[in-house]
Amino acid sequence: MDAVELHGVTKSFGAVRAVDGIDLRLARGRTVALLGPNGAGKSTVISMMLGLRAPDAGTVRVLGGTPERAVRAGRIGAMPQTGRLIGGVTVRELVGFVQRAHAAVARGPVPSLDDLLGVARISDLAGRRADALSGGQAQRVRFAMAVAGSPDLIVLDEPTAALDIESRRELWAAIRTCADRGATVLFSTHYLEEADAEADRIVVVDRGRVVADGTSEEIKRRVPGRTVSVDAPTSLDADLSALPGVVSSEVDARRVRLHTTDSDATVLALAAAGAVRNLEVSGASLEEAFLSLTHAEPALVAPIQAEEAVR
Amino acid sequence: MILFHYVRLEMLRLLRDPGYLIMTLVSPLTMYLVFTNLDLGTGKGADGAVYSMVGMAGFGAIGAVMTNGVSIAEDKPLGWIRQLRLLPLGPSQAVIGRAVCAMVAALPPIVAVCAAGGLVDGVALSPGRWVAVFLLLWLGIAPLAVLGVGFGYLLTAQKAQMAALVFYMGLSMLGGLWFPIGKMPSWLADVARITPVNRYGELSWNVAGGHAPTLVGVGVLSAWAVAFTVFSVVGYRRAAQAL
Repeated sequence: MDAVELHGVTKSFGAVRAVDGIDLRLARGRTVALLGPNGAGKSTVISMMLGLRAPDAGTVRVLGGTPERAVRAGRIGAMPQTGRLIGGVTVRELVGFVQRAHAAVARGPVPSLDDLLGVARISDLAGRRADALSGGQAQRVRFAMAVAGSPDLIVLDEPTAALDIESRRELWAAIRTCADRGATVLFSTHYLEEADAEADRIVVVDRGRVVADGTSEEIKRRVPGRTVSVDAPTSLDADLSALPGVVSSEVDARRVRLHTTDSDATVLALAAAGAVRNLEVSGASLEEAFLSLTHAEPALVAPIQAEEAVR
Repeated sequence: MILFHYVRLEMLRLLRDPGYLIMTLVSPLTMYLVFTNLDLGTGKGADGAVYSMVGMAGFGAIGAVMTNGVSIAEDKPLGWIRQLRLLPLGPSQAVIGRAVCAMVAALPPIVAVCAAGGLVDGVALSPGRWVAVFLLLWLGIAPLAVLGVGFGYLLTAQKAQMAALVFYMGLSMLGGLWFPIGKMPSWLADVARITPVNRYGELSWNVAGGHAPTLVGVGVLSAWAVAFTVFSVVGYRRAAQAL
């Protein structure tokens, strides 16, 4: 039995189709990244997996039952994308409540409060007021609440958004500890590097559809991570979009922008062709990368509004 | 068990906000002392004092449970309701837990007004009746506590504040907590008799006067309790969907 099974799931908000027919199966014990730009439908997919929203069509099964049942049994731990901590309680009181709530329904053992604080790297924050923490600290507290019941499935919606590098590193160390204990982890991100570094499998979604699905190596071969740009050559007979690594390109009167999966090879080929003028190599924004992947019009505005509405 | 843990957490938050608890008893206590000492038509002598004592204690209790909804509305933008929804805590448990906290917040005005009635205005009841009046004032507020919780889930803090005020003042007056519904036009008194507030006050007025609560009164109050519970559970589910 898979940890998560989605079949033909759709969800619209008004006229906007946020999720447009997604089929997805997540095997147990794996760490999977849901990668996509803002407004791709990641948060909506996750909210249906958690039973917060019902799909318009299709079925969502989590750990062999409905999402609601899995939540009530304490088998899903979730960290929604947004959310702050409540005032009036200390970190120990807050996490302690969540831990006891899980202990009251759990069939197996749940970690002790001290273990939990240790895993989430918040032992030193136990006595602090929950609403007086930095962003990174608060995010680790939220993570502790997500894994308090030793869940079989951990769902993290953009866990590292708006965190500095040190906070990211600490949070991922905590997430890895739980993954190593056998939990299935699903996290969403819009950083290809993060998906690449942490996930066994990457599911790329854009405009409510799965546009690519595979291992990190397979995805990186398809998703251009860099943009190489040079001044437009005077002779137009050179077809730069055919250079090695180039997935797609944009040309205007002054510049040629090549979206590439292998910037080294592309630059070497440009040099060999004598086309290096004002060379610039930059990380491609994921939006650009997905446009090239889906070969579609740049019409991302509507889905972004839909996801904003969800928040 | 999980409900106990939840109530304990929310109680911690409530007790660390003493300003709110003090505010809940100032206005009913003041009004009670003014009403009974100026005799604004609530009846003369001991009967009037008992009537006003129950009325103002109930008025204070309604204020406390309605205002409690505002703090729930303030939790929503934090994502706290959704966080709870992702725990093994069921929607009805969440609603009940929060309503129990609201009922605890209703204790200070009930205790303060009853104490003023006994100590200042010489309300004399047998010990058994004192206990019964006190318990009915406290337990009878449960349906309205659930309603206040529902407002908190469904409305923004600002709108919950307005709804709280409208229900607090409006229902208290219509329900006959300020002056007896016998002094109202008969059509208005008929309306008053189907409000939960009037039936809530009636429980204690009857017991203080040596009568048992009426079956109809308990029935009306129970029907409102069911309706308000459904309302609040739906509100909780909606509050958990978005932030």
